[in-house]
Amino acid sequence: MTLIQEVSSFTPQTAASAISGILWLIPALPIVASGCIAVLKQPRRRAAATLSIGSLGISLLISIAAFAHVLSGWLAGNAVRESVNFTWIRFGSSAVDLGWVLDPLSAVMLVMVSFVGLLIFIYSTGYMAHDENFTRFFCFLSLFAGAMLGVVISNSILLLFMCWELVGLTSYLLIGFWYHKPSAAAAAKKAFLTTRVGDIFFLLGIVWLFAQTGTLLFYNHGTGSLEPLALASLLTQHAALGLTAAGAIGLLIFAGAAGKSGQLPLHVWLPDAMEGPTPVSALIHAATMVAAGVYLIARVYPLMQAGALTGGVTTSLTVVTWVGASTALFAALIAVAQNDIKRILAYSTVSKLGYMMAGLGMGGVAVGMFHLITHAFFKALLFMGAGSVIHGCHEEQDIRRMGGLKTYMPLTFATYGIGMLALCGVPIFFSGFWSKDAILESAHGWSISHTPYYMLVFGAVITAFYMTRQVSYVFFGQWRGHGHAHESPRVMTTPLAILAFFAVTLGAIGTPAWPWFRAFLDNRASEVDLHAFAEPAWLMLLLTSCFIVVVGIGLGWALYGNKSPEPDASDTLQAAMPHVWTVLQNKFYIDEFYGATFIAFYAWWARVADWFDRRVWGGAVAAVTWLFGLFAQFNRFFDANIVDGTFDKGCEEISTGGGLLASIQSGAVQNYLRILALAVVALVLILFWSSRP
Amino acid sequence: MNYVDLFRVTLPETVLEIAALLVLVVDLGVVRKAALQMRLAVAAIVGIAGCGVAIWSLSMQGSTGLTYGAGNDLILLGVGGYIAAAQVGILVLTALTLLLLTGSVFTRNAGEYVAIVLMAAAGGLLIAAAQDLLVIFIGLELLSLGLYVLTAFAKASAKSAEAAMKYYLFGGMSAAFLLFGFSYLYGLTGSTNLHQILLQLHNGDLYQATPLLNVSVVLIVTGLGFKVAAVPFHLWAPDTYEGAPAPAAAFIASVSKVASFALLIGIATAAVHVFDVPGNAAASGQQLHLGFGGPWMVLLVTLSTASMVLGNLAALVQVSVRRLLAYSAIAHAGYILTAVAFFSYSPLSTNAILYYILTYGLTIIGAFGVISVVERATGSDRVDAFLGLQKRNPLLAAVLLVLFLSLAGIPPLVGFWAKFNLFAAVLSVSAGVVPFTLVALAVAMSAVSLYYYLQVLKRAYVMPAVDDTPIKAHPVTLIVLVAIAAAVVLMGCFPTVLQNWIAGF
Repeated sequence: MTLIQEVSSFTPQTAASAISGILWLIPALPIVASGCIAVLKQPRRRAAATLSIGSLGISLLISIAAFAHVLSGWLAGNAVRESVNFTWIRFGSSAVDLGWVLDPLSAVMLVMVSFVGLLIFIYSTGYMAHDENFTRFFCFLSLFAGAMLGVVISNSILLLFMCWELVGLTSYLLIGFWYHKPSAAAAAKKAFLTTRVGDIFFLLGIVWLFAQTGTLLFYNHGTGSLEPLALASLLTQHAALGLTAAGAIGLLIFAGAAGKSGQLPLHVWLPDAMEGPTPVSALIHAATMVAAGVYLIARVYPLMQAGALTGGVTTSLTVVTWVGASTALFAALIAVAQNDIKRILAYSTVSKLGYMMAGLGMGGVAVGMFHLITHAFFKALLFMGAGSVIHGCHEEQDIRRMGGLKTYMPLTFATYGIGMLALCGVPIFFSGFWSKDAILESAHGWSISHTPYYMLVFGAVITAFYMTRQVSYVFFGQWRGHGHAHESPRVMTTPLAILAFFAVTLGAIGTPAWPWFRAFLDNRASEVDLHAFAEPAWLMLLLTSCFIVVVGIGLGWALYGNKSPEPDASDTLQAAMPHVWTVLQNKFYIDEFYGATFIAFYAWWARVADWFDRRVWGGAVAAVTWLFGLFAQFNRFFDANIVDGTFDKGCEEISTGGGLLASIQSGAVQNYLRILALAVVALVLILFWSSRP
Repeated sequence: MNYVDLFRVTLPETVLEIAALLVLVVDLGVVRKAALQMRLAVAAIVGIAGCGVAIWSLSMQGSTGLTYGAGNDLILLGVGGYIAAAQVGILVLTALTLLLLTGSVFTRNAGEYVAIVLMAAAGGLLIAAAQDLLVIFIGLELLSLGLYVLTAFAKASAKSAEAAMKYYLFGGMSAAFLLFGFSYLYGLTGSTNLHQILLQLHNGDLYQATPLLNVSVVLIVTGLGFKVAAVPFHLWAPDTYEGAPAPAAAFIASVSKVASFALLIGIATAAVHVFDVPGNAAASGQQLHLGFGGPWMVLLVTLSTASMVLGNLAALVQVSVRRLLAYSAIAHAGYILTAVAFFSYSPLSTNAILYYILTYGLTIIGAFGVISVVERATGSDRVDAFLGLQKRNPLLAAVLLVLFLSLAGIPPLVGFWAKFNLFAAVLSVSAGVVPFTLVALAVAMSAVSLYYYLQVLKRAYVMPAVDDTPIKAHPVTLIVLVAIAAAVVLMGCFPTVLQNWIAGF
């Protein structure tokens, strides 16, 4: 298998067709819906939900049509990359161009985002049914969907950044949706600020890219920043530390992606983001927004890959790989020692995002994107299943206070089980296996080091372990909570079933025998080749995967299976390894480390700045204000007393003897014309003074 | 020159005059007995239709202006280019001010009001196109006389009469100064044609400041400074804005401003294009020929600085929103004068000034629309009349918010792009100390201006209402205001649309 994207033998198809002409409608519709909901009155729940779901439904239809268009082009042997660009603002000779692009990458992502989004919207009508701010929730949710779809179709890095920030804003608003809870408000702030750190680097990358290439567009008939001409020029520029400009810009953009996708060391916000309503966690913090970072890297892949020698390795891709692999293992370890059902899933998401990044770094766009798509389905399924569990257990989130739910919530259990098996990567039958397998395969063949491969394999074992632990706690054993658990309404379980269906079947698009998905993204023809299943390398991997699953699930079941520990008893693992457990439960003390260093420094610096502001600048500003106020007062005095005053006085004097009209005439003529004449004289004097020899 | 050409080039003005007469006939003849609101509506509709036909007739003007003289090479009235853009702007803004008439009660003479508005607009069209001192003067008088009458139109209000009287006396005096200045210019060069005069001034070595030219240019600047309300010729503006009926004030603040700045653009354009006419190309390496030579720029810079500073600072302490807008108009005129003083050979400056004044005109019409509604409900235009507007009529408050923030130049509203283009144009002409200082001052003063705009918005949104009975607005007025606010937002989000439209003429 080659790691370099093969030069396409397909015919390029860049002319905009009818469907790419209306592509902008896909993000525009949910945004317009959000605007309409914003002005709706609070009790208009049904209208709000209808607007949201309707607009996203139409977006989904257009997305499917766009996907079909790209697909038919691919089947006909065309490399579809249709872009529509326009000038937004013109400053003299330079212009700010915006535009959108339709290619296999954006088409696949469009369908995934709008489809998963639509299911979650429908689910939310059930989950949020009793919330008094139902309309506000759908307003934000629609805005998010529009912004996310905007990120997907952007052909301009600026437009992408604007939508990216909008996505960040809606994430902030939705995490803090229950803002009266102090923990939710704090989590929202944390998410916003942490991602901002990455975004600053991203912005620097954008500015640098624009400065070097002179264009904001990715693809523009040969002159875009991701096309060979611009990439070649970027490679000739050298930045510091032996990096080319392409490498440095790639790293800056990766910093932005790392912030959004919760990669080390900017992952701290994502677990806290679970303070938001569960549909939000499913949509934003599992399926779509956190994947935006992965998508961004896939989008700028030509830049990341520019200047690659044989083997497809560049500095920036190496960094992506290492960061991804470390995140994958690191987050999986933390997930073992968490007790909140959503937090476990959150760390699992961080870990899976690490897998995607590692897949991008070692295997290319298709490998990373394949995992992104399958993960979106089964992780949305898991989150919504968790939501269903929480809903059924009366807002209880601690897995130690659940148990035995398989009898109370059979539908949720069945679908959750499928999601869990997909996440663990149980061979053959679940999509998670095929996509994870592709990553492991490329890691195995990576030319630089084998360490990431072992990290990812170990991470996979732990993933199977913590998921087994969670499922045993929640669904097996005895009911340990309070009250009665109940199954969720149909509006919530139907989306679960649909997602479960895809969590199983989606793997079929990326098996080694028929690597359809990869061929589609890379613009190659694909053939069915059943011999691939018989290759020793693949069989080795299959064995490894079986080993991973058996060890992980077996260990988990041995330690936790079917037991009903008291809620306050210490964990089995805790008893065995108390020190390790404490470290894991405290998430390696990363938050505490940040608190003691960065945050403490900023707090100190803020105090210094505050003092400086009050004492030094405050005084200066007060002095200027006073001066201006004085001038304004003088002005008013002049206006009121000299101009109007004499006028009024004139009025008074004459109105005693004559009529009003006479008084007006007399007053106005004298004063206004006096000033007019004075002004003319003054101007003439200025002229003679200025033109003196 | 022949009469066919004359008719062709003055077609839009003719259409407006015919529409004015038609309004009188319809109002005094057909709907004389009808209710006032009905008559206002009919008169406004006829007037707007007249504006529409006039816009259409602009495309029938042909591509050559009206010329005269022995070789038929002296231009009297220009067509096309920035002139057409300004004329379309004048007509559209006139139509909008007529739309604001619905629901007004300040006059019983609907037909006369609309007829005078149309005649004044015809004067505006004329000075936008004029290339000859006499036509400029006649156009200015046609416009000004209309404005004096419009200011006095609320006959029941003593304030209105007083404001009109002040405006008229000040205007009359300024016009006398202007004519006096023109006569000196004619004496110096022997021509009334703008291009001829500028050429003479340059070739005849008169371009450097001679005492007579100095005096003449000062007098001309006085007359033009009065029209655009630049300090120190601004004294009429606060009284007039305060006293005139709201639709008339909106007309004065928008249409008259557009026409006057179109005239200034005309003079500046003629000056930078002095050597474009074949055969006139003197051996000269100079690229910049600003206005009537050296004194022109010094005067404009003086006026512009004084207007920016005084307009903004005086606005800070106003308690009447109309006076506040008058002082802010003075400040805006100051910004624009900067770009007139530093004028580019390329259409950059022309386009920037037109962009500014057209969007400003649109915004200020909306602002006066809001004020008129509030005034009718509360009987006052003081800032405290806007207390709790957000509760009393949220839509009206939202319109006010958009318009005032645009006037202050907050992105992404259109006012930001107007300022941005204007300042960019100034700096692209010359990177010297003076233009840079002027732009820096203008930016600083824009920041100051935010304070008084926010004072009004603070009352509308933040401060508690003393009276929270809802304010009712006439549906037509409301639709127009919302449309204006939407245009301000949309043009701000897509700034190239209007830019391309202006540049496309």
